[in-house]
Amino acid sequence: MILGRVVGEVWATRKHPKLVGYKLLVIRPHWWYEPSHHVGHLVAIDAHVDAGVGDDVVICMGEPPRWQSEGPAMPVEAAVMAVVDRCEVDESAFEGPRPLKLWRDGPRGLIVGRIRTEGAEVTSQAEPERSEP
Amino acid sequence: MIRGTVIGEVWVTKKAPSLDGRKLKLVAVRGASGAAASGRVVVAMDTLDAPMGQAVMVTFGSGARNVLRPGASENRDLLCDCAISQVIDGES
Repeated sequence: MILGRVVGEVWATRKHPKLVGYKLLVIRPHWWYEPSHHVGHLVAIDAHVDAGVGDDVVICMGEPPRWQSEGPAMPVEAAVMAVVDRCEVDESAFEGPRPLKLWRDGPRGLIVGRIRTEGAEVTSQAEPERSEP
Repeated sequence: MIRGTVIGEVWVTKKAPSLDGRKLKLVAVRGASGAAASGRVVVAMDTLDAPMGQAVMVTFGSGARNVLRPGASENRDLLCDCAISQVIDGES
């Protein structure tokens, strides 16, 4: 799965019968996404969570989204599976030779801190270095 | 499957039914040299309660559903393409 932000919506009148009744959202991924076509966005079906523009969401990709509704084979390859409330990242991810890069400010509710290995407790909070979009 | 390190956690309230009671972790994917991060991060479902900084193995694709519920015919409804399948104790 990957994290992304909902930046738009797509709607259509003429469509595959399996897609009737589902929302299609345009998503800008925050982190890792390697599509076959380098377009910087993806379109995901929203069958469960009713996400809106501006929400940060978890996207499930590949084969599992096809099996969401009764019966097989929805013509989709990406689905919204959750809306993000809060997100915690260890600051070590922003260090080193290949640091983590964020799109804009990263997901909403992002907390960056030094997290102890035993038990996930934030001991300090620091703003990460922001990368320009 | 790939190796990675747990670097964070994601909290959600509105979610698909397959996520009920399961945690989402952020896993930094390891690069070619093995130890260093590649700068890529995935969201993985965690059934093993892996702590922060823990080295883990992540399974992708429809195989990830077998981590949550084994059996190809019973787990089709699970919406999950990435799951922590193993907490790594040692490697050479």
